[in-house]
Amino acid sequence: MTTTVTDNTRTALTKDARNQRAIRSVLNGAVGIVAALALIPIGYLLVRSSQKPVGEIAQLLVRPKTLEVLATTSALVLSVVTVTVVLGVALASGLHFVKLPMRRLLIIPAVLPLAIPSYVFTYTWIALIPEFSGFFAAVFILSVTTLPYVILATLAGLRTVDGAQIEVARSLGLSIPQTFRRVVFPQVKGHISAGALLAALYTISDFGAVSLLNVETLTVTIQNMYRASYDRSAAAVISLVLIAFSTVVVLADERVKRQSPAGGDVKVYSTKNSLINKVWMRFAVITTLAIFAFVAVVIPFFVLISRFFSNRVAIEWGELARTSISTILVAAFGAIIALVLSTPLGILLAGSKTRIGHYAQRVITIGHGLPGVVVGLALVSIGSKLGALYQTTFLLAFAYALLFLAKSVASMSSSLSRVPNSVKDVASTLGMNQWQVFKKVVAPIAAPGIGLGTILVFLTAMKELPATLMLRPTGFDTLATQIWSAAAINRFNEAAPYALILVLIAAVPTFLVSRPDKSDRTFIQETARSPK
Amino acid sequence: MSSLEISHLNVTLGKKLILNDLSFSLAQGQIAALLGPSGCGKTTLLRSIAGLIQPSHGTVRFGNQLVSLSSLVLPSHKRKLGYVPQEGALFPHLNVAENIAFGLDRSIFTKDKIRQITKEMLDLIELQGFENRMPSQLSGGQQTRVALARALAIKPALVLLDEPFSALDAELRADLRTDVIDLLRAQNTTAILVTHDREEALVSADIVALMREGKIIQQGTPEAVYSTPISLETAIGTGDALVLAAAKMADGSTSYLFNSTTTGSEVEKGHIVIRPEEIKIDRDLSTATAVGLIEKIDYYGHDAMVSVDISGQKLKVRIPGPFDFVLGERVSVHHAGPVRFFADEIKM
Repeated sequence: MTTTVTDNTRTALTKDARNQRAIRSVLNGAVGIVAALALIPIGYLLVRSSQKPVGEIAQLLVRPKTLEVLATTSALVLSVVTVTVVLGVALASGLHFVKLPMRRLLIIPAVLPLAIPSYVFTYTWIALIPEFSGFFAAVFILSVTTLPYVILATLAGLRTVDGAQIEVARSLGLSIPQTFRRVVFPQVKGHISAGALLAALYTISDFGAVSLLNVETLTVTIQNMYRASYDRSAAAVISLVLIAFSTVVVLADERVKRQSPAGGDVKVYSTKNSLINKVWMRFAVITTLAIFAFVAVVIPFFVLISRFFSNRVAIEWGELARTSISTILVAAFGAIIALVLSTPLGILLAGSKTRIGHYAQRVITIGHGLPGVVVGLALVSIGSKLGALYQTTFLLAFAYALLFLAKSVASMSSSLSRVPNSVKDVASTLGMNQWQVFKKVVAPIAAPGIGLGTILVFLTAMKELPATLMLRPTGFDTLATQIWSAAAINRFNEAAPYALILVLIAAVPTFLVSRPDKSDRTFIQETARSPK
Repeated sequence: MSSLEISHLNVTLGKKLILNDLSFSLAQGQIAALLGPSGCGKTTLLRSIAGLIQPSHGTVRFGNQLVSLSSLVLPSHKRKLGYVPQEGALFPHLNVAENIAFGLDRSIFTKDKIRQITKEMLDLIELQGFENRMPSQLSGGQQTRVALARALAIKPALVLLDEPFSALDAELRADLRTDVIDLLRAQNTTAILVTHDREEALVSADIVALMREGKIIQQGTPEAVYSTPISLETAIGTGDALVLAAAKMADGSTSYLFNSTTTGSEVEKGHIVIRPEEIKIDRDLSTATAVGLIEKIDYYGHDAMVSVDISGQKLKVRIPGPFDFVLGERVSVHHAGPVRFFADEIKM
């Protein structure tokens, strides 16, 4: 009798094992497809570059022009990172440790510039000072634009430092600067590095600001090569140089993160009781913030609004409305594709650590440093061979999805990692199969974080310029391209209404992302903890 | 028939063998305590029983149902057991009532039936009126109660508790433990309680199983494992123990600190284990088998741990209060209890 029982259960158990394997292979397959899609741009560039003889590639790489552009790009990135890290860490520390009036609200002027794309910001300054141009102007613009990333990332890090540790350090005789250097800094340097990484990648892939200011970086060179219908293979080679450059930056960040203590469960501490109450410090923090807000928020808004009102009669309202709607639609479409593409990987990573999940995540994370111009170049060349897809808004939305897939996956996997394993185990012992566990437990807990991540992808896609310029169907305009084409020929008044609308739409999610009313974790913190 | 039967179970995580040829069984309605230091494989064993880990070898049976045969595993959601992990793991997005009703299949139970079971469970854990609270609004003890109710609501044949009380402070811990054990007994539920607290294991369980390095080294009733340990290791693992050098003599007697009068030759060397409460001290030095000096008194109120120095040999003795011994006093020390001799392992 025992044997028959055993045989029956053996059959049942084998069937179960087979079902589980089937589910797993479907998921693995989906993840594999997504990883393959994410590799399209790099794959295209490699194939395209390899069509060029080695001699010509070498010649292209060592010609003075290439070296000069590479030097300019490096100098720009280094300068921007230095400025933003020094100012950003100082401001974040001030906001976190110093007793200030309305502390929570003071963070708004610090993050609001996130809503203003660099090209809009540049154009408002050129409209104000026509001679505004050159390398230092670019350092200024890009530093101001990216400073919020460093401030938010650092703040997120500082919130995880237990105030009691600082009190212990002080009681052991350390001064405030010593405490910061020996206790606080080692714990937040991973976060600072994450903020600096975002600033560096922004600078590398920026097209609008640098070209308005006549600074030629690698991104500008690629765009120019493409627009001049110059040899596409040459553009591909320079794109690979740009990718190599981004990779170096990403690796530098990973190195810093490896050295910093591994964050297990992140707790958020309140500093209410240990704020520094020194008059000169309060004065310094508030003055710096005020200057920053004036330069980064007040001046652009002043220019936009005054330009807007100076020729209200000439505004084409219909065109403005049409452009706004198509911008929102195509950006939302892109964000949804990104969400759909990152879901199988999310489910896989939420279930258990798997090798394919790990590799897919790595492949997609590399895409984090992929500039828009590179993805644009790859998709425009592939798309032109696909016929039906070429010159469609779908291809544009797909480009957005590929560009921001890393963002989407990062927010998804960090939201999912907040669901404790024990909770999933319990649901499973209570009779839920893998899918039910995902639907009833994992998804509801992770949904707010994933939603916020999707909004951020939407916001970024809405502001995207270089890939949009390459991939938009003829006659299709987004707010970004309208601003760009008007500003590029100094028609500042015409650009103003588009810029104003773009900034206003972007301000809403920016506010949601930073949530100054909540001291809880922000998306930037999630980004700072993004997968290694 | 046994309600749970594990035989020759091997579990490997990474490259490490966590459970090593482990066998264990439990009858219907019995409560077992798995006792051992952290890292000995207690949680892994529990998770294997729950179907959350794939063993590499061995079988697990629930009654006459085979649920695990080598690497073929019935998935955990088909095992119908109650699992309470460390710190409860309540679903943070659901309120108390929704947490408790989580495992009740809506295609089997009507809405009213689910509401009724939830109410019964709330009565059972004495949290009436807490239906709409979120887990974050509960204290640690309340969270543990809800986690238990959630596990019991599906009327599981087997309940697995993984250090459910470890996050609580001492007093609450003892109270809640008593409540939980009473609850399990009232429902005649078979249960396994993982703990590293010796007292908790002895107080709660019908069967205490001692784990070391992926194996169960001794199991039995609490009285049995406490009073007749099979090795020095299990003696220390189940309670405070004094370990004294000793020797087995040719006449069968044991020579040690309190019995040095034996004559004849030593047959083998070893150690004996004495429980602190088996030692008595008094002031009548004339009948002394040994005389010691009181070096230290740790006073706990209901009793005290007194450290006595007997010519260089230091002993800890448990004395019920009240008493009037003072530091530095010379006292007579007696041993009144079984002589548990364990021969030293012979080194080859």
